[in-house]
Amino acid sequence: MARQIVIGLEVHLQLLTKTKLFCSCSAEYIGHTPNSNVCPICLAVPGTLPLLNDGAVALASRLGLGLHCTIQNYSTFGRKNYFYADLAKAYQITQYELPVATKGYLDIELGGASKRVRIHHLHLEEDAGKLVHPTADGRLTGAAYSLVDYNRGGVPLSEVVSEPDMSSPAEAKEYVMRLRQLARYLDVSDGEMESGSLRVDANISLTNADGTLGTRVEIKNMNSLKALERALEYEISRQNKVLDSGGRIVQETRLWDDAEGVTRSMRNKETASDYRYYPEMDLAPIVISDSEIEGYRQSMPELPQEKRLRFAQSFGLSGEEIAILTEQKALADYYEATVSAGAPTARAANWIRMEVLRVLNELGQDISEFRVKPDALAGLVKKIEQGDISSTIGKDLLDLMAREDLTLDEAVKRLGAPQGRLSGDALRELASRIVSSQPDVAETIKNGLDKKGGKIKFLQGLVMKEARGQADPNEVAGCLSELLGS
Amino acid sequence: MKMTVDRDITLKMAKAAQLRVEPEQVEKMMNSINDILDFCALVGDLDCSGVPDFMWRMRKLPSRRPDVPKDWPDREIFESKAPTFEGEFFKTPRIMAEG
Ligand SMILES: [Zn+2]
Repeated sequence: MARQIVIGLEVHLQLLTKTKLFCSCSAEYIGHTPNSNVCPICLAVPGTLPLLNDGAVALASRLGLGLHCTIQNYSTFGRKNYFYADLAKAYQITQYELPVATKGYLDIELGGASKRVRIHHLHLEEDAGKLVHPTADGRLTGAAYSLVDYNRGGVPLSEVVSEPDMSSPAEAKEYVMRLRQLARYLDVSDGEMESGSLRVDANISLTNADGTLGTRVEIKNMNSLKALERALEYEISRQNKVLDSGGRIVQETRLWDDAEGVTRSMRNKETASDYRYYPEMDLAPIVISDSEIEGYRQSMPELPQEKRLRFAQSFGLSGEEIAILTEQKALADYYEATVSAGAPTARAANWIRMEVLRVLNELGQDISEFRVKPDALAGLVKKIEQGDISSTIGKDLLDLMAREDLTLDEAVKRLGAPQGRLSGDALRELASRIVSSQPDVAETIKNGLDKKGGKIKFLQGLVMKEARGQADPNEVAGCLSELLGS
Repeated sequence: MKMTVDRDITLKMAKAAQLRVEPEQVEKMMNSINDILDFCALVGDLDCSGVPDFMWRMRKLPSRRPDVPKDWPDREIFESKAPTFEGEFFKTPRIMAEG
């Protein structure tokens, strides 16, 4: 019997507060002068006292509610002791015994099937500073000393701890994607793995032959979703090999080495940390009243899953279309505004999915920066739906509107596209112009030498091209035969 | 029950705490730790029956503050008070245990 894969994840999300968790320093640190956002509290000057940021409690509660957790009326802080230069106090203030939110779930979808991953709890804690190692190759080994920037020290984190409910690397990746989407919908965190505002640690084990749980290994240092998947796949095959050869899995922490594509044992027993958790006596417990929780609940926006369901019911879109449109809240809002402005639901979905995302990608913009506002896109899509302009022209118009900040009318003028379809006198005039520009071809047709109809088709093509497709082919043929007496 | 530490345990503790202790400093450190242990033994003699293990001290101040940034006005003081500072960074002994 194949061993079952058992994965649980601990995800750290940096909260989008303006200030740090326990002091009024700005929580911004990327691109700032090192040690510019620091104060006696986050530098652990003796005699200072931390004071909890109300905004961090609100964001952690929102995330907890989004994960269907119970928000606790009473939770406490503790100290996790470890000695490392990125930690000014030599301990991290975290929640250990009583976290702020407990027992929730997050539904994930994979290959059309839905799966519920249970959330054990969510807690608040402070981030550490950043070490800079002054060696030529940037590696620790050989550095004579370390340089520390405490701007990040004390920035609020929310750690979301799942139950070991995932059974493949793909599920783990999907879980992180859904959690990140939720955090973004709730404006709780920007969830960027590359910049470190979302960090994932994984616990992974394989079941024993009798189905009981095996020894679990913790993996750290995965800086992208791809790294998460690769690290888990590597670890599964490593553990299988160890077990196949009759060996035992050691309970340990391993670091993912992305360049080498392997996990490595991090520390031996000799230096294994004993965090000596104990209560943080400098901070009062977090007391959240029922009415405060109700207030957070009232302020919750529609969650991604609820939005997907509503999009399916209201707009009759396919699962794939819905997944793309609802991935970002701003894009889903854009779609709804386009539909509200009168665009047909299916065509608007198709245009946003294919063309708007293409242009955004080419311009390196996100939807909030997009110059074509929903009512303008609705105007364009309506014209296409009514057959006033072809899809090809529509794409050119969208490009112009987005790149040069033009209205639909301005773009039409700039492109020289005919306003609507060409027919009647305007079409006859165009056909006549084309005929005069091709005297030899016209002569051949007039003399009845266009036996196979190739020449007349050639002229039809020229007219259609000049009309940018905005003419009825039958009417074009009629005009030409009128002019050439064929 | 009264506990004491000897030279060996003192050195072991220093290692666990990643402290550098010169041979001539060991005795002073050992005596300090034993003073602390003596004090603990003294406190241990108190009758604490019915008293909870841990209580948060009462605080008259609010327990949360609004999320409004404030700059610390006197940044230079950190630089001048820090044992070592280089450029814009605090400078610390190199990380000892790695890999
Ligand atoms: Zn501070």
